[in-house]
Amino acid sequence: MSNDKKVSRRDFMKGAATGLCVGAFAGMGLYSYSPWAYSRLPKVQRKLEDFGACRSVRVTNISETSWFNNAHLIGDIHEAGGLLVNQYTLNWAPFANGKGSAKGSYDEAMATIKDLIPHDLEKAWEIQKGLSLHPENPGGYSCLIEVEALDGTITKYLLDTGWSYEWMDASFKREGIDEMLKAHEIEALFISHEHWDHFWGLPVTTKYDPRIPLYVHDGFYKEGLQYIKDCKHTGDLKVIKDPVTRIESGMALLKFDVPIINRVFGETSLAFNVQGKGLVLISGCCHQGILQFADFAYTNLKYDNDRFYGIYGGLHISPFEDWDPKYDDLVISLGKWGFERIGCNHCTGHLTAKKFIEAGYPVVRGTARFRSASKDYLGNGDKIAFGC
Amino acid sequence: MDSSSFSYLESRKLVKRWNGPIPALVNTLLIAAFFYLTWWIFQDPRGMMRMYTPYVGYMVCRWLLILFIWVAYIFDFWPFKRSWLTRTHPLVKGTVLTLFSVAAMVLLIKGFFVDILGNFGIAYFNPDRLIEMGITDFYSIEYAAEAIMMFAAIASWLSPSWVVACENAPWAKLRQPARGITIVLVTFFFSMIVYFLTMHSHMAILFYPWQKYTAICPPYWEDFANTVSGNFHIAWIMCCTVVVWLYETIWERYPFNLIKTDWLRRTASFFGIIAIALALCYFLYYAQDLVWGSTIRGTRRLMAPDWRWLHVGEMAIFWLVPTLYLNFYCGNWPNKFSRPVNVCLRTLLTAVMAVVVYVIYYKTSHLFLGTQKGFSHPQQFPMIPMIWLINIFLINVWFMDGWPGWKAVPKTEAELEHVHAEVVATDVKWSSTLAKGLAVGLAAGIALYALIINVLPWIGANLTIIE
Repeated sequence: MSNDKKVSRRDFMKGAATGLCVGAFAGMGLYSYSPWAYSRLPKVQRKLEDFGACRSVRVTNISETSWFNNAHLIGDIHEAGGLLVNQYTLNWAPFANGKGSAKGSYDEAMATIKDLIPHDLEKAWEIQKGLSLHPENPGGYSCLIEVEALDGTITKYLLDTGWSYEWMDASFKREGIDEMLKAHEIEALFISHEHWDHFWGLPVTTKYDPRIPLYVHDGFYKEGLQYIKDCKHTGDLKVIKDPVTRIESGMALLKFDVPIINRVFGETSLAFNVQGKGLVLISGCCHQGILQFADFAYTNLKYDNDRFYGIYGGLHISPFEDWDPKYDDLVISLGKWGFERIGCNHCTGHLTAKKFIEAGYPVVRGTARFRSASKDYLGNGDKIAFGC
Repeated sequence: MDSSSFSYLESRKLVKRWNGPIPALVNTLLIAAFFYLTWWIFQDPRGMMRMYTPYVGYMVCRWLLILFIWVAYIFDFWPFKRSWLTRTHPLVKGTVLTLFSVAAMVLLIKGFFVDILGNFGIAYFNPDRLIEMGITDFYSIEYAAEAIMMFAAIASWLSPSWVVACENAPWAKLRQPARGITIVLVTFFFSMIVYFLTMHSHMAILFYPWQKYTAICPPYWEDFANTVSGNFHIAWIMCCTVVVWLYETIWERYPFNLIKTDWLRRTASFFGIIAIALALCYFLYYAQDLVWGSTIRGTRRLMAPDWRWLHVGEMAIFWLVPTLYLNFYCGNWPNKFSRPVNVCLRTLLTAVMAVVVYVIYYKTSHLFLGTQKGFSHPQQFPMIPMIWLINIFLINVWFMDGWPGWKAVPKTEAELEHVHAEVVATDVKWSSTLAKGLAVGLAAGIALYALIINVLPWIGANLTIIE
């Protein structure tokens, strides 16, 4: 090959190599965030899975006060090392061993109360209070859901079982849940996720009905699965793996694989199709985000009038009265989704409820009884009905 | 040519102590061990100090990065003498310079941001003031750390940009510490302006009601970015940070170093880096939409626009890791072709390696970092371990001369000449053949981009990284 040809080929390669990078970056810059690029995105193919319909859904808030002092709760988390620390090591009852912050151990804690649960919860909780940080802080989250079928039959379910044995037992008695459990009137217990305030009060349920069918997300850790055994649960344990699990006509359990603070993974939430009304969403904490929950239902389920009707539960926006601009994205956007009844509480945060009300959203107000702090949302003992 | 007219990093050459890949392997193993040890001591949520709260750890690793840049790039190791740098054992040097950087970082964070700015200027920089106003201790610290960290994000782009793109102009001829102080003050000043234009509104929205009298709320980017979150700015600023280092390392300052006129080359470099970063930013955002579907404003995590913008920055940092590794430990391989071809191959290679690092990180990091599996944990930032690792690279190469795999020797006259040749290059000249190649390359680049955006939806539908 002549020298000229070599130089020429070398120049060509220099130009081609430069052009390749420039062309790729130019394409990225000029096209990627353009309207043309987004017009290419495939439209969502809705599955419109028919999961039936029910006549109405009634929710009784057994307890939404998961803890009574934000500063103590978040202070303990902070002392332990922040929001990624394993919840079972935080040294909160019932998993306290008296060794202080971040030195908790499931096995050591359970050794102190294993023989007492679920039959002697008073003593078990008293022992744990003596070993734990801020023993008076725990409360719990739990609600009773009554689903009225199209033929008028009513089926009862529990969503979550709270945290403090003491507080939850009193709350159950206040709302008559203890008697319902004893009489096997409650069809199943759904644990929305493994967090302390939704799950750790499990013995309060198994005390009255150890055979109750139990639904949990498949992201539960070994401690959580062991705790179910240690609570003497004898019923059917359903570890949910599928995105959509039909429970009864007009009622489905939806599974979300989301990482959550303090080493919890995954949340399950409930969706209902209320005849003539539309979709009702009920959540424990809704870590997946309420609009992601709604969008998932929109993509996968068929419901009356193709309309979002109601929400109940924790929306996990400002649970510790913290804030982030992304939460305002929800406050700004929620109105476009057209929900007619918003029953929020618990980890929604007072500030969020306040902002919803200021935005003119149809937030169902509460009565602020039984240590619930605000009338801006549904408090302990309050009820909300969808479709009655 | 006198080596004292060059910075220490320019004046030295790192020579392998052993043949073949052994130095890289030894350093990689040591770096991995040191990473894991220091991660456990300082960051790991199961470890000793547990700074990964997350924002405290985030702030610390970002400011450490900037301090390393200031020490090595901007102050050229002042007040440490050149003779001390050349004679001291790398281990001693690394320890002293790292501790010096940490001390300066503490002084800056605690002294300037918390005590001065937080007490006499803007309350949210001082956690104690937020606590006094009723915000919980934990979030007071997190908010202040977030603000200080955001300032660091901007400075980590502008500080090296002034050295790399603007070539220290117009203060290049000043002696240290005058040059360092001047450039730090100037970049700090610009960082402050960019902070107010990009992040201040984000911080103002944190408080109820929106602090409309002190910041623009809702911010001007809301409609464009589909969020009021400042994560939109984190996205493009992080891309700027990464592109600065691409430009300095694997690109050898190509192609802007072909411009012979000083002011034009420097201006083109500075704004060219921003333009390339914006292109990368928009592409990485669009790529997520192609893989995961359109965002839903108001939701959280994977589908939220604010998180997708944040993830743009995270993905960009994943590119920086193999880029620096290739430059530091693989001799900026390949080197045997012309500069444009080398640059192109390195770019493609590091981009592919970034994807590999990304996949490995999300598949395995939860097994050893004390984190959780999942893309969008709201309290997890892959940038923290990645920048922590990059910081260790910098300690090793800048402060320790690549010990133990490498040692520093002074550059020869010819090698020092080459330093100048990188600033103003003459190895690519305009010709009709080059123009033809450029046209073909442009078409190929656009085709490559088109291929990628057409493959991404298939990847989203058929491949799962996190089971």
